[in-house]
Order: sequence, then C-alpha cells, then structure tokens
Amino acid sequence: MDTQQDTRKTFVVPIGPQHPALKEPGHFEITVDGEIVTAATVRLGYVHRGIEKGVEGQNWAQAMYMLERICGICSHVHATAYALGVEALAGVQVPPRAQAIRVLVAELERVHSHLLWLGVAAHEGGFDTLFMYSWRDRELIMDVLEGLTGNRVNYSCNVLGGVKFDVDQKQADAIRSAIDFLEPRTHHYMKVVTTDETLIGRTRHVGTLNGAEAERLGAVGPVARASGVPRDIRVDAPYAGYPTFPVNTVTATAGDLEAKFIVRLEELFESYRVIREILEHLPPGDLSVRVKPRVPAGETVSRVEAPRGELLYYLRSAGGPTPDRVKVRTPSLCNWGTVLATAAGHKLADVPMLIAGIDPCFSCNDRLVTITRRGASDTWTWARLRQYGIEYYR
Amino acid sequence: MSAEKRIIDAETLLKPYAVGACSRTPVGVEAVIKREDLPAAVKALVDGRWGYLSAITGLDHPWPKAAKPAQKPGEAPVEPTGPTEDRLEALYQFVSGPVVATLRVSVAYHDATVPTICSVIPSATLYERELQEMFGIVVEGTPETRRLLLPDDWPEHVYPLRKAFKGLP
Repeated sequence: MDTQQDTRKTFVVPIGPQHPALKEPGHFEITVDGEIVTAATVRLGYVHRGIEKGVEGQNWAQAMYMLERICGICSHVHATAYALGVEALAGVQVPPRAQAIRVLVAELERVHSHLLWLGVAAHEGGFDTLFMYSWRDRELIMDVLEGLTGNRVNYSCNVLGGVKFDVDQKQADAIRSAIDFLEPRTHHYMKVVTTDETLIGRTRHVGTLNGAEAERLGAVGPVARASGVPRDIRVDAPYAGYPTFPVNTVTATAGDLEAKFIVRLEELFESYRVIREILEHLPPGDLSVRVKPRVPAGETVSRVEAPRGELLYYLRSAGGPTPDRVKVRTPSLCNWGTVLATAAGHKLADVPMLIAGIDPCFSCNDRLVTITRRGASDTWTWARLRQYGIEYYR
Repeated sequence: MSAEKRIIDAETLLKPYAVGACSRTPVGVEAVIKREDLPAAVKALVDGRWGYLSAITGLDHPWPKAAKPAQKPGEAPVEPTGPTEDRLEALYQFVSGPVVATLRVSVAYHDATVPTICSVIPSATLYERELQEMFGIVVEGTPETRRLLLPDDWPEHVYPLRKAFKGLP
C-alpha cells in the first residue's frame, strides 16, 4: 500500500529563472503528477529595473525616454501611452498628422512583434524552419522602422505634443513595398499553422481557454480575442489616430493555441490595411505642439493596445516639473493568470508552448534602474549613466 | 453601449458603497470606498458584469510636506484642511469600453491593510502582491504572499515606491 501511495505523490519541477525555453528570465514551479501538470506558479522580477520609481526623479520629457525602455519589442506603445496621458493632463491638442504617424509606427511595431512571436512560438513547438522564415521577414519591418526613425528598437518617435519626424514619399514607398512582400508571406504562414500536422499536434485543443474563463481571469489582447472576448482598446476607446483610421477587432472562438496563431496572423492583415490607408491619407499639418515643462496638477488614466494587449498608464501630476506617480500595468501581467490556470491537466512538455502562447514579455511586467556590479558594488547614478551614454555615442 | 450609459451603470452599482457621491473624472467615474466595503463594491461591479479589473495602483501621500498649507508672512498659520497623517491609497481601476471606474481606498501608514478581492477576482492576486511589495499595504487574505517582483535578499519593511525611499544604503 505504501508503494502505491508513493507513486501518487506529486513532484515540483522548478523551471528557470534561466532556462532554454525563453530568452528572458522567469521562474516557474510546475507541480506534476507523473507527466501531467496539476498546478503552476510564477515568480517574476528578475529584470525588475524600478522604472516607476526612476521616472519620479526625471522631468516630464525625460521620463518618456526611460519609459520607452521598459520594453524592447513594444517600446513605441509605452511612449505613446505616456505621451497621451501627459497631453491630456496638459490639455493640449496634438495635430492630426502626428496622431496618424503614431498609429503608423504602432502598427509597424505590431507587425514586427507578431512576426517575432510567430517565430518564437514555432521554435517552442519544434518548428525551427518557420521560426527562421518569420524572423527573416520580420527584418524587413525592422529595416523600415530604422529607415523611418533611425532606430531598430527604441524608435523614439514621440515627443510630448506630437512626433519627431515626418514620413516622406521615399519612406512611404519603402513601407508599401515591405507590406506588399509580407502580405503573401502572411497568407503562407496562415496556411502553414492551420494545415501542418506537426504544428497542429502541438497547438490544436492545447491550452484551451473558453470565453467565460478568459473574462474571469482578466485576459487582454490576442489572448482574450482568441477566446472570443472582443477586447481591443483601438476599438473600445480609440486613441491617437485610431478614430480617423479605425481597425476591426479580430476574434476567434476556439481559445486554444491554434486560435492564438490565427488571431495574431489575422491581425497582421488588419495592420497592413491600416498602414496602407494611413500612407494614402496622411493628414497635412504640423508635427507637434508645445507642451509646457510644468504639467498642471491632476491625474489621468491612459490606455493603448500594445501588441500583447491593453497597456494601462496611470499618471499623477502635483503641478511640478516631474511626475508625482507613474503606474504602468502591462498586458503580460494580466495574461499570466491564463497560463497558470490552463496549465493544469496538460503534459509538462506543453508548458513551454503555453507560456509562449501569451507572448509574455518579462521586461514589461518587471521594471529598475541601478546597475550594481557585485563585488565591486558599483552603483551607477542616473546622471552617470546619462553621461556614459553621451560619451559612448560621441 | 454609450460611454454615458456605462458611467451611469457604474454609479448605480457603486452608490451603496461610496463615501459621499461618485465623482466624474475625465476618463470616467470614481468613488471613495471604505476598506471594509471594498470586496462588496468589487462584487457589485463583477455581478453587474461591469467591465473588468485592469489595474491596482498604489499611491503614497506623505504628510505634512504635501498637505501643509503655506503660511503667508504676517498672517496667522492656516489650519490644514486635508488629512493630517501619512497615508497610502490603493486605486482599483475597472474598465469598460472607454470608461474607467476607479475605487479609491485610503489607509493610514500605521494601519496599512486592505482586504483581498481574490474571492471575487482570483487573478487580482498578482496586482495585490505588487501593491504589497511596493507600498507595504498588507493585503489581508491574499492567497499567495511570497515575493513576486523584488529580489529575495531585499530587506523586510522597505517599500521602494513610497516617497521616503531614496535607495538602499
């Protein structure tokens, strides 16, 4: 009898913080009964940089550049959410051309983010060919973004009150030709993820989350939409240029990993359409208006749709030259609950796919700013870091 | 559903629990809630199928620096009108379409506890743990209290998002 009891004992498999499945650190404790997962917990914070605290010491303009560095994939949405909030507090009207360019960059960013995710998810599923093709194609968007903004990652497109650069004919043509190439490629990827037997084996009926559960767990973005919950801030509360250039919500009903592939790929087509439309009908006018260095006292909530879902910023001004409080709630944090809830009952081998399914961004839900070198105990101040940056690029 | 209808619905649901009237904000509506009413107020929104919990934001209001009225030369000192103690505040931000409904719960430093809302919204636990670690607002009854974001060797009772925190020694 004792032996029988022993075989029924559960076992905790610790995964991470450093692990081969993802390129970012996170720690999971997966409780298994044999091969089957019975419970899962997550420990975050390995890339917590204290950015919310850090911005309290910066002026309103500087804070944006720090916030933009919360995420290396969706940097633009962070700056946009913050800029929209500050502009609301300051009571300024941003010119329509600037708002359209913000949306243009946001949609280009979504394209690169979804293609990046497609590669990561395919890689977790053991389909490295798809990973390499999708990342090759993603390079086109990276080149376009670099041509447009000068940067591949932190585009630094926003200023408080508008955007920094205009889109000229040559750049518009470069974007169009990249989109013209990517559209048939995306059709091809759609065919692959819905017909390839090996990939379907890893995705269909795996990690199924029904609509009611998705709502209960507070899922956002493509994770919610793949379960038929139409949550999309671009549609629910259009911001920046979205009132002029509306998008359609893409949903699926299955709620499994396959549905998450389908929703994200369908969203690419929607992004291509909006990008073309903006290039076609870019409103004329100025690129920015002046925002005074002191922002009137008040508080506001600013929400945008990041590639991973709803991104919420809470801003509070005490009327001074620096923010009193900036709170960032990133979509990955909302979606963790869905992984922890759906993991139970699956095989341990499905866990990496389930984690990848929400397109988690650890840097987003973690956030710090001191560089401490242990041993030498060398702490860099913000001023020193800034000076280092200036010297480095001189 | 129009934004106005959503705001009115939120006001109706929150009215029994709000201290004073619900007030309008540029992004929606907000209500000051006593902490003992918090789970019931949250349940009212959830049962009324009003949106979803989007974030829990912590705020630190140290006194007297922020609330002390300025004394003009030659005049009698002005009696402070606001709170006269260090306080912390937790904002429970619910969203529905374009509308944000904020439940504001204020607690004093020396009695910084709020009840958990995980019995109503189980996924709130991550937000509650963040609030607990960053502001030292103890969330009573939250199912998991292990560190979520701060390092394992972070000292006890040091809360980095309080205004008094200027870095570890």
